[in-house]
Amino acid sequence: MDQKISNSSKLKIALLILALVLPAFPFVSQHMLHIIILIYLYMILALGLNIIPGFNGLLDLGFVGFYGIGAYTSGLLTYHFGMSYWMIMPLAFLNGALWGVLLGAPTLRLTGDYFAIVTFGFSELVVLFLTNEIWLTRGPLGLPGILPPSIDLSWFGGPVWEFQGELPYYYLAIVMVLGTVFVMHRIQDSRLGRAWFAIRDDEVAAVSCGINLLVYKVIAFGTSAAFGALGGSFFARWVTFLSPDMFKFWESFLVLCMVVLGGMGNIWGVMVGAAVLVSLSEVLREVLSAVGLPVEIRFLAFGLIMVLVMRYRPAGLMPIPAVAAQMRAGRVKRKKVKTAVS
Amino acid sequence: MKPILQIQGVSKNFGGLRALQDISFDINQNEIIGLIGPNGAGKTTLFNCVAGIERPSSGKILFTVNGNPVAIGGKKPEKVTALGIARTFQNIRLFDNLKVLDNVKIGRHCRFKSNVFGAAFKTPSQRREEEEIAASAEEILEFVGLRGRGEEIASSMAYGDQRRLEIARALATDPKLLMLDEPAAGMNPQEARSLMDLIHRIRDKGITVLLIEHDMKVVMGICERVVVINYGRMLMTGLPREVQGDPRVIEAYLGTGAFNAAEA
Repeated sequence: MDQKISNSSKLKIALLILALVLPAFPFVSQHMLHIIILIYLYMILALGLNIIPGFNGLLDLGFVGFYGIGAYTSGLLTYHFGMSYWMIMPLAFLNGALWGVLLGAPTLRLTGDYFAIVTFGFSELVVLFLTNEIWLTRGPLGLPGILPPSIDLSWFGGPVWEFQGELPYYYLAIVMVLGTVFVMHRIQDSRLGRAWFAIRDDEVAAVSCGINLLVYKVIAFGTSAAFGALGGSFFARWVTFLSPDMFKFWESFLVLCMVVLGGMGNIWGVMVGAAVLVSLSEVLREVLSAVGLPVEIRFLAFGLIMVLVMRYRPAGLMPIPAVAAQMRAGRVKRKKVKTAVS
Repeated sequence: MKPILQIQGVSKNFGGLRALQDISFDINQNEIIGLIGPNGAGKTTLFNCVAGIERPSSGKILFTVNGNPVAIGGKKPEKVTALGIARTFQNIRLFDNLKVLDNVKIGRHCRFKSNVFGAAFKTPSQRREEEEIAASAEEILEFVGLRGRGEEIASSMAYGDQRRLEIARALATDPKLLMLDEPAAGMNPQEARSLMDLIHRIRDKGITVLLIEHDMKVVMGICERVVVINYGRMLMTGLPREVQGDPRVIEAYLGTGAFNAAEA
């Protein structure tokens, strides 16, 4: 097959190579690597959340709940059992999926705003649980001293290599982002992805094509939650300290902003959204503290950005073409009332 | 031969509104049957009851699957589709943001089973399925006359083509009974003629067709039998010719005394 490589795939390959060699540049400090890892982490989260509003057209305000579940799964399994991260990663993924299904199955019959409120309630519930179940989570004291991951090759006489500094996390995060993008791509072009897009565009038409709405929405919710938990599991082993207030509503909102800013439903768009918002947040943090203002002011900046995006690019920075066309035409077709037409 | 669909005493109330009252008729295998009546007569409500979008308040709907009648009244719409009833909508409901080909592929959904793991890991069986889905979707597009237009976005197509695409999507579910809700609405006479030709070809594939239609040329041109309802009640069933000349039908459409006026 002598297919010509398109310009956009050239760009993607170039970006990937750049990402791989970036730590070798002398001007890249540990602090900078830390922020880039944060970007990668939020890319995974944004890609996971994107399944709900982007692929299924549902509003999810409680994504951080699954992030927290993943983080604490990872943290507690390390803390109590000293389990290896490579075992924890799939377990956290599955635990996220489990809670996604447990929450989704009874509540996904709700439509629109009602569902969004349930997800919001769920994430608050997770925070309350983490704060008050002190016997398990140590509550507000937090969970310190989580071991960093290590690559243990001692079983065939090799070395045990523990993650130190930011560099190994950097490459681990790249691998995780690539894996997530890969899976998202596959799903997008599959029967499952098409069913989700059908639900997003028109629920009545989707059931008429034989798509069971509840089943597919629950699958979506479980998948999205699993990626949230995956991000959380990485987060726990990376910062090696967890406390319940890391998983407040604000985080859900931030990830949702990334999805909306980047372009709902567009895999590359939401990654750009994550990169833009995380770097902006860090830049503002530096600038604000330099001029002696409280760093919380950056939240105001986020609000302003969202207002501007909604005003000038309502479909996001990198919208799916048809959505952009619809937004331009002023046709808002997101809400579909599930009543038959007569 | 057993009828493919039996509607027995179906009523549907919306609160105090009696949208359908005691509707009964049979549809025979491989028949093209028209459902007509003035606006608000309950035609679409009846469609919705058969398709599972509405639950009939009373009465039975039996659909013949492999020679056995199955009660489908109140079954979920996706179950009804899986049993072999497909439909189109009065105000076109395509997946506007998706490509034409994907619209048809979604119609194939209920005939395949690959799941989330297949999607993520692209197992060989999943790949085979995808190829089958793509091939049959292309075939169906060609059948309805939209060959080579699979890459267009559904909402960008002309109105008549959108109607065809909706029929294609319905056909993709492999129906035994196809219900068309005003397929010729908004079509020019030429488009309507080629639609009639398409409906004939659908029937020739062994699919029974039930259609709601206001365009009398289309109804008279292709329906073998016509069911007339008015104010949610059965008015009559008969051959198109009989229905056309029946005073009750003319009255229902044009008002009391219209038949006499027409005679005079």
